[in-house]
Amino acid sequence: MTKEKPEAWLPLTPAMFHILLALADKERHGYEIMREVDERTEGKMRVGPGTLYGSIKRMLNDGLIEELDERPDPELDDERRRYYRLSDFGRRVAIAEAERLDKLVKSARSKKLLSARGT
Amino acid sequence: MNLSTRVYGLLLLAYPPEFRREFGGQLLQVFRDSYRAEALNGSVPSFWVRTLLDLVSTAAKERIENPGREGVSMNRRSDAVALLGCAAIIAIAFLLQYVTRNSAASLILINYVLDPLVVTGVIGNFIVFLLSKTTKFNPLRIAITVFAVVHAACLLLIVVLSSSGPPVNWAGILIGYVLSFVIWVGLHFAWRTTNRNQALNSQH
Repeated sequence: MTKEKPEAWLPLTPAMFHILLALADKERHGYEIMREVDERTEGKMRVGPGTLYGSIKRMLNDGLIEELDERPDPELDDERRRYYRLSDFGRRVAIAEAERLDKLVKSARSKKLLSARGT
Repeated sequence: MNLSTRVYGLLLLAYPPEFRREFGGQLLQVFRDSYRAEALNGSVPSFWVRTLLDLVSTAAKERIENPGREGVSMNRRSDAVALLGCAAIIAIAFLLQYVTRNSAASLILINYVLDPLVVTGVIGNFIVFLLSKTTKFNPLRIAITVFAVVHAACLLLIVVLSSSGPPVNWAGILIGYVLSFVIWVGLHFAWRTTNRNQALNSQH
């Protein structure tokens, strides 16, 4: 399944893309993912527990993310927590989705739907 | 474990058993962590509202995607037939009630049966459907218990309301409620027996 082109997975749901973004720089457990999304979007996007683990289940099945066998910091952390990281395929899907959104924003800009700010 | 976490733990029964086995512990842990943070900010009520909305939408999604071993199409068809059947019986009873309101039929106590058939049918079937989808209890036992409780509650309500109103025909009301209970439980029994026979035939 993961040998398919990343574009076949697009567009991702907002929750899935935010989870992939949260895992892009480091492995995290569920609550850490929720907090990262909340902080990065300044509270505009909040992922509930059901949405989080429903998305995680699908992304594990599709090979976009992987569960870690060992906890990154066993000394400091609760042993019941499960950590997740981006798979190589998941990274390619995240890049493809970011490029798709980038093209969309460029189109919006060319139609003058966005101000010059950030151009 | 605080009360909110216990309540959330119970609400997790809304998810399919496979999903609960795989992620139930994680869901509970994330809820506990989030609850602690929200309690510090003093925003527990809005947190509960968000969590409940999240639970309802994602549990429904998981149930639709993973309805159990019998398979999606069979379950959906069976549920749809049962719900349509109940709706049809309630609608017919309601229409008959309206048509016979001023006719000779009302003299032979038909309306005493139709009234409870409609009221307990709407309430009872809704509760039976929810419980049979979210718990592992025997569906027929659920139906018998729920209809017994709903009929008893309705009778109790009539007793309370009639104490300050005009006199009522207790014999007619009682016969009507007993017949309504027998009809609904009988229909559920017939439905479960048919379903079980179909499942046995498909296994052979």
